[in-house]
Amino acid sequence: MDIRDKLNILGDAAKYDVSCSSSGSKRQSPKGGMGCGYSSGICHTWSADGRCISLLKVLFSNACKYDCAYCVNRRSNDIPRATFTPKELINLTLEFYRRNYIEGLFLSSAVIGSPDYTMELLIKVAKELRLVHHFGGYIHLKAIPGASSRLLFEAGLYADRSSVNIEIPSDKQLQYLAPEKNYASIYRPMNFLAERKLEYKADKSKYSPKFLPAGQSTQMIVGASGETDLQILTLSAGFYKQQQMKRVYFSGYVPVNADKRLPVITTKPPLLREHRLYQADWLMRFYKFEYNEILDEKNPFLDPDLDPKVMWALRHPEFFPIDLQTADYEMILRVPGIGVKSAQLIVSGRRYSKIRLQHLKKMGVVLKRAKYFIYDSDVPPELRKLYPEMIRPLLVAKPKSDQLDLFDNMPLALPATISQPVSQPTMFQPALTSSS
Amino acid sequence: MSLAIHYDSSFDGFLTAVFEIYRQHLDVSCFVAERSYETEGDAATDLFAQPFHIETSEQSAERLKRAIEKMASLDVLKLLETCFRSETAGIEMNILAYLRKLFAGLDPNYGRNPTSLEMISLITIARSVRREMDAMLGMVRFNKAPDGMYIAEIEPKYDVLEMIVGHFRGRYPNGSWAIVDVKRGLGVYYENRRTHFVTVPDPSSIAAHAPPDQFTQMWKSYYDTMAIKERINPRLLRRCLPVRYWKHLPERSLGTVSTPQLPSSVAKENAFASLRLK
Ligand code: SF4
Repeated sequence: MDIRDKLNILGDAAKYDVSCSSSGSKRQSPKGGMGCGYSSGICHTWSADGRCISLLKVLFSNACKYDCAYCVNRRSNDIPRATFTPKELINLTLEFYRRNYIEGLFLSSAVIGSPDYTMELLIKVAKELRLVHHFGGYIHLKAIPGASSRLLFEAGLYADRSSVNIEIPSDKQLQYLAPEKNYASIYRPMNFLAERKLEYKADKSKYSPKFLPAGQSTQMIVGASGETDLQILTLSAGFYKQQQMKRVYFSGYVPVNADKRLPVITTKPPLLREHRLYQADWLMRFYKFEYNEILDEKNPFLDPDLDPKVMWALRHPEFFPIDLQTADYEMILRVPGIGVKSAQLIVSGRRYSKIRLQHLKKMGVVLKRAKYFIYDSDVPPELRKLYPEMIRPLLVAKPKSDQLDLFDNMPLALPATISQPVSQPTMFQPALTSSS
Repeated sequence: MSLAIHYDSSFDGFLTAVFEIYRQHLDVSCFVAERSYETEGDAATDLFAQPFHIETSEQSAERLKRAIEKMASLDVLKLLETCFRSETAGIEMNILAYLRKLFAGLDPNYGRNPTSLEMISLITIARSVRREMDAMLGMVRFNKAPDGMYIAEIEPKYDVLEMIVGHFRGRYPNGSWAIVDVKRGLGVYYENRRTHFVTVPDPSSIAAHAPPDQFTQMWKSYYDTMAIKERINPRLLRRCLPVRYWKHLPERSLGTVSTPQLPSSVAKENAFASLRLK
């Protein structure tokens, strides 16, 4: 089989992994080599489904000995199989990198031989890229479930990021759908890597090489096993706190196998639900929301008609409307229609002049939404009240066409690489001491 | 009589012009940047204004820069330059309006206030320029020429070439490469750890030196396989990757190469077959 066919097969087999981020690495180009990190990550292109492509994302092999129900590569599927040699893959990575197609390599694999054997192959590729070719580009290595700690540790020395996908948001369901896996086998490597990374961080005195500078990420499949949004967000919040995950990805379930344990094969991927989950995740990462503020036992699902920020605001009329001249930065952030950049601008600008509607308009604040949640000091106190029942219908997005146009107000909600709000020009930073 | 200020289209040229406007008390109605290519800004020209040419002087520009730094800050100066690169209609007049208020000195905090109406507009323009610059870091595509040089053509909306060079220097410090802005006829080439900025009179001939090769083809077919069929979304694609950039992206502009039988389609066919059997 020539390398081109292998690339197609092993790229195709890897595409259901959502993560393609190249953020978090500040690596400099090594002496005599090439390649560097770019800490907010770089998207190189977008595939026809609108997903960012940043890394060469491939499996080392798709000849799996396991049989997870939801996976194309499971051993019971009759599909074309391929396996790279390390040399082929290294060469491909370097050539693509030189042409600026990619930020680096995202290498995963089906389990071939044993988990350790597979992990060793992945490490070999990363190690040679770093030590033989002096490659400073991004490397994301999957931790193969069941691989030994020694190998996980070694992987962390060459990779910028590592990930173990939890895939199914409940242990019972996971064991049902993936008989060879359970939560223990997934949390163990996550915790191991998180602890090693902490050690490396704490120990500044000894000469220490980089260990997973861009941390870990994981992915959950949405809509394959009857889980609630609350379950999903609770798990993600835990990952951010306990395992210091950098990202948790959601992947709307795309049926690839007919399997009585799974939704029927004609099921459409739940794109809207996935989008709302990303919005909620966004609120947790950049807007200082706690997961249990967004959802609770009584409301375990996100509102499909409203973005979660609006949903939260309407449930809390007691906080609104607010006065932009005096409100805390955290509270301004919670106003629907005001983003991180505008909130920062408001806080740093209001010391010099009053913030009026015309300022907000110019900043790009979505007044259509924000206007219900803020007031001007001229408004008499008795009129400063929010009536959720009246406002809700005004804020529900009307579908424009049959194609879901999900990305009106949150262009970066997808797992794109440039997914952190770029900070304001430095001249306005000093005012923000309390906000970062 | 109000004037149309003609200058050489450089930022220093513009600053010189502002300097002269102050020194000679000129009454300005618009600026005309003398460029070899068309921009949105050309439309803003006032046909009835009398042309007045100003020769670029590094010294005058430098003096004005120092004044801006003093009254506002170095960051504001940089922001103004970034805005200037947008080449949008009337950008010179916008910057001039800001500088007028800054130098009028009526509000001692003006240079620090990010929410003055003039400044907010400039911040938003600078944001778009930076956004394109950021996007461009990912969208430069090199082809390999027979002599081993890697050559890329770009056609950005804003004049961002100079802003992206540092990134590529850091990335390929030992390589030799060139990036050409075909719209503006400007180029940069890097060889033996040195960077050279050049004008490229005939940018259309560049591509012929470095045609696509087998890696370009592999990239294209890899790109095609990455899309998940059930999620294809042309509108989202256009929003993320505006059509105006496609021309210089082989993955969008090369013809589709036929792909072999892929695991995901085979698995799906099998699945449907087994459904039918039931
Ligand atoms: S172990 Fe991984 S590749 Fe193998 S079947 Fe399970 S999910 Fe698929």
